[in-house]
Amino acid sequence: MRRGRVPWVLAVIALGVQALAGCTASAGQERVRITVATFGEFGYEPLFAEYERLNPGIDLVGRVTDFDSHHKGLITALAAGRGAADVVAVEEQYLPALRHSRDKLVDLARFGARDLAGRWAPWKWEQGVVGDAVLGLGTDMGGLAMCYRTDLMARAGLPTDRDALAALWPTWQAYAEVADRFAARVPDAKFADSAGTVYTAMLNQAEENYFRTADDAFIGDSNPAVARAFTLAGAIGAQHRTAALTTFTQPWNVGINQGAFATMTCPAWMLAQIKQAGGPGAAGTWDVTTVPGGAGNWGGSYLVVPAQGQHIEAAYAAAEWLTAPAQQKRLFESDNILPSQPEVYRDPTVLARTDPYFRDAPVGRIYAASSDAVRPNHRGVRDADIRPIFGRALGRIEDGKQTVDQAWQQAVDEAHAVLR
Amino acid sequence: MTGRFGRAVVLGLLVLFSLSPLYSALVVASRDNADLARATPPLLPGGHLLEHVGELVERVDLAQAMVNSALIASAVAVANAVFCTVAGFAFARLRFRGREALFAVVLASAMVPTQLGIVPVFMVVDALGWYDTFAAAIVPGLVSAFGVFWMRQACLEAVCEELVDAARVDGCSLARVYWHVALPAVRGPAAVLAMLSFATSWNEFSWPLVALDPNDTPTAQVVLSRLAGGYYTDYPLVLTGVLVSVVPVLLLFVLFARKVVAVLARGAAETGR
Amino acid sequence: MVRRTLTPYLLVAPFFVVFGAFGVFPLLRTAWVSTHRWHLISGDEGFAGLDNFRHLLADPLFYNALGNTLSIFLLATVPQLGLALGIAALLARRGPAWQVLVLVPNVVPVVAVALVFGQLLGRDYGMVNFLLGHVGVEPIAWQADRWAAHLGVAVMVMWRWTGYTALLYLAAMRSVPRELYEAAELDGAGAWHRFRVVTLPGIRPTLLFTVVASAIGGVQMFTEPQLFDGSGLAGAGGSDRQFQTVAMYLYEVGFGRFDAGYAAAMTWVLFVLCAVFTTAAVGLVRRVISR
Repeated sequence: MRRGRVPWVLAVIALGVQALAGCTASAGQERVRITVATFGEFGYEPLFAEYERLNPGIDLVGRVTDFDSHHKGLITALAAGRGAADVVAVEEQYLPALRHSRDKLVDLARFGARDLAGRWAPWKWEQGVVGDAVLGLGTDMGGLAMCYRTDLMARAGLPTDRDALAALWPTWQAYAEVADRFAARVPDAKFADSAGTVYTAMLNQAEENYFRTADDAFIGDSNPAVARAFTLAGAIGAQHRTAALTTFTQPWNVGINQGAFATMTCPAWMLAQIKQAGGPGAAGTWDVTTVPGGAGNWGGSYLVVPAQGQHIEAAYAAAEWLTAPAQQKRLFESDNILPSQPEVYRDPTVLARTDPYFRDAPVGRIYAASSDAVRPNHRGVRDADIRPIFGRALGRIEDGKQTVDQAWQQAVDEAHAVLR
Repeated sequence: MTGRFGRAVVLGLLVLFSLSPLYSALVVASRDNADLARATPPLLPGGHLLEHVGELVERVDLAQAMVNSALIASAVAVANAVFCTVAGFAFARLRFRGREALFAVVLASAMVPTQLGIVPVFMVVDALGWYDTFAAAIVPGLVSAFGVFWMRQACLEAVCEELVDAARVDGCSLARVYWHVALPAVRGPAAVLAMLSFATSWNEFSWPLVALDPNDTPTAQVVLSRLAGGYYTDYPLVLTGVLVSVVPVLLLFVLFARKVVAVLARGAAETGR
Repeated sequence: MVRRTLTPYLLVAPFFVVFGAFGVFPLLRTAWVSTHRWHLISGDEGFAGLDNFRHLLADPLFYNALGNTLSIFLLATVPQLGLALGIAALLARRGPAWQVLVLVPNVVPVVAVALVFGQLLGRDYGMVNFLLGHVGVEPIAWQADRWAAHLGVAVMVMWRWTGYTALLYLAAMRSVPRELYEAAELDGAGAWHRFRVVTLPGIRPTLLFTVVASAIGGVQMFTEPQLFDGSGLAGAGGSDRQFQTVAMYLYEVGFGRFDAGYAAAMTWVLFVLCAVFTTAAVGLVRRVISR
């Protein structure tokens, strides 16, 4: 044992005395345990150890589960009023819905979180606040780039150089035209993995999508940005320019490995998955370039503090420290986790990062630029109820079941029914 | 001739179908992700199993979690075998007022969809002050409607009504009737129930995840969910976890089933069957 | 005397204590929630009377899910029960290792099941389509096509539960008195005849149990179609909800959309449907068996 025997004996005696004395010992002498729940490893373990060194009296303990279970567990705990960790990571797609139940989360502004606003990219910060309240502090971000297969591009007679390719698709309209050129030359592979990813990337480049910023009213059926994205992505799907593969499924992994499609929108964290699916043999096959429209983010999380916790102030302190620039930088260096704070992602070491698997693509620079270009885009409280409806509509087009118009009409009807 | 051959073929297919999940878990666990993403998935195990087991041991503390799971599942299995058997016996062979109505309640309770139930059950457990105790994991599963129903049907089949009545007329207490007449006859179905309850409890995931604090009282499945990761699933590692958690249970079952058959054979010899 | 009349109640008491503690409150609470606008996390947002029920009865997605559930149930359950009976008859005199063997598909954690079926029934690279391709059949979009998806889910259900059911039959068959078989054999009855006149009547209560259990399991089918949907818990059973069951829809509404009031109404309606359906199934089977 690191601490040796004597302190251990003392601790037992102290505990005994404390028990005998009832509850007279002051709270300051007790060790406070703060649990931090994340989905998947956030690379936090070494940081916990350091935080404990800096803050005697605090134990930071990690709690890790898979993505679905983590969020379902949080929802159950918030609904029942018991069982949530002191600090909980929430992925961006779950955050808008939690705004509806913000009394279940601590308003971090109480502890001065507002003063930290300048740390994050404005869009990242905005997603974590409701009015005057601060619900979450940003951890990582995804950024958004376009990953592409050089071998397929070469077969299609398209440039394999990332800058030349990016110059071909400044807009999504241009991207769709490149898809046509690709399809004319390469019959046995598709241009994109799915219509849904194209659509989502387009949608998130608009300042408003399904809900109005001013009053959170549903505008998905009338907002031209939504219709434009749907029409373009739907057309790509209807013309069979996509492989119609659902992101994260095993067939999608096989598609990455087998070259079933030439391009896919890829946030920074997806690079690891391409490496896993492709294997070492595929090194140098994929490359990374700028996404059409230039801006984007997919994924990334926030740390929130459930109000049911026993030590909300200590929990806030831990969350603040874990998301601070110094720690974001260390996580980038140790685990390649992309920081969401301009001060950090513009750091020379981050900007200079290249990835040998992707033909030495300057991933640090690409993702920083895509984040810098993102304008805050409003996500309605019921964003997560509506998004999948339009996603499935695009799936119906890809499956050949409906035309773009039919799919759109059914999606709009379903959205109205859900929002009754 | 053909009957024997046909039977061998059917048995062979049965083995194939039954073992396919274990076998593919072994194949996946011993490969890496890129192998799995090939156009034709591999059919033979590769050489990465030990590496993945090593990573598993390094990443999660499985020993304590397996002990916790075994304790919980054993308690649930024993309790179900006992409580469902006595209740099943009462419903099958004893006459009492309200028997049919009470049994209808048992059946109806099995028909309630459970998807939404996790929140109110959790509220009850918390109100009892049981959050993060073994009681929270065990007590709600102590006795199941399906178990009671199953043991009732088993008693209808195996426990002779006349025998029970005769014993009662002879002044035997109900406990003795149960012990000497009913229990020996339904040991087989009760053992099967114990086995199935154990397996269900062992594989339970959503409930222990919310009812127990994973940092204090982890169960095997909860600990293994750590391996599934954030945005994507590292299948080889996850399936290594599946193998490590399920193989001991199956071995335990084989031993247990042997024991039960031996006991049944002895019981059959005693009753002259 | 008092003790004797009390004993049966004592014997069934454990079930009712546990049910009273962990079953009754959720049921009553669900009933209460179903008459409100109720956000899963935030709770009560106003009394709604029977609005949730009215909305449910007019919800096309509910009827879609109901149709899928019935279709998958019929495809999965009837063959499953027959197959299980055959397997049990085959294994009746074999060693205990076989009992454990047939249980394996049910005991293996579902993530392995999902992976196996993903590899078998993939549209582009699945093994089944690969084999079908050799006999000239066009690749089947197992998830996208309604009937193919129902068949796929049904196969998954059968594969997970046939061994389990066979094990129940096996346990029941072991308690059929051996003398009955011997007597039938003396009468010159063949194996099939013995099975019909001795085994089947001997395990009638168990047959009834499996019918009820699979009717309940079928109406509440959740895990298998959810696994069949590659996108996991977020899945709605395909782009056109072509294999979404009622329980999946309930989950989507309750845990995906946090509309606990609506989900609670659906819970009650599904409960009633389950009771009606099970009663009908039992009535039907009773008539068939008694013949």
